[in-house]
Amino acid sequence: MPLSDDELFVLSFYRSSEINGSLFFGRLARALKPGPIQLDLSRHFADEAQHAWYWTDCIDRLGERPLKLADAYQDRYLEAAGLPMNMMEVLAVTLVFERRVINQYAKHQAVPDLHPEIAATIGRIMEDERWHVQWVRDALAGLEERFGKDHVEATLRRYRAADQEVYAEALREYESRFAFLSAPRREPS
Amino acid sequence: MTVSVDDIRRTMAQVLELPEERVQPDAVLTDLVSDSFLLVEMAIELQEHYDVMFGQDDMRDLRTVADLAGLVHARLSP
Repeated sequence: MPLSDDELFVLSFYRSSEINGSLFFGRLARALKPGPIQLDLSRHFADEAQHAWYWTDCIDRLGERPLKLADAYQDRYLEAAGLPMNMMEVLAVTLVFERRVINQYAKHQAVPDLHPEIAATIGRIMEDERWHVQWVRDALAGLEERFGKDHVEATLRRYRAADQEVYAEALREYESRFAFLSAPRREPS
Repeated sequence: MTVSVDDIRRTMAQVLELPEERVQPDAVLTDLVSDSFLLVEMAIELQEHYDVMFGQDDMRDLRTVADLAGLVHARLSP
């Protein structure tokens, strides 16, 4: 079953997003001092790069070539929310973003008659994504003492508001591309 | 901890992979930083290196290398 143009766009969008996540975390992994956050962030960086490979491989197995997309979702995200300038802000924006990613992949998993290659790729990625949310949430909690619980919560609220704004804007812009994800959900077997 | 502007310029030059002479005190940060990820990396690197802390609000009004060095100095001061 060949990919539709919209499916190819969405898979390429995922690939591009994973590449950008990897580049971002790679830079941070380079800057951080040794310690628990450096350790987990380095694994996160490797996961994102691996996910980009999974999507590249998935698209190839489906007989297509990834589209080169001009701008990345993360760029809009950071533009709306402002650049994070310390590790607490980085972890806060990451937590909000990772939750959005999990929701997006879960929505895609529920598409009727999803191609097995795509389902398998999302399944592999979702295992890592759950860990991403867990480690970032734990690390953020560990920084509450240093930054203040109220400040951490205010930062999360600010990034959640930006998340809503950027996601709504992306849905409007890519409405036709993502429409197939809104098809009636598959009943759990 | 005593830190000179030159120390900070050196650290910045290393992260930005630029010759030190390009990271002059009056150089505009946005002219030195090619992308937003690099700016985040530089901010984190400075905080890790000098064991200081600053956030988005502190960075908003910074324009030049000297401004950023001033912020690091201010955070280092007791």
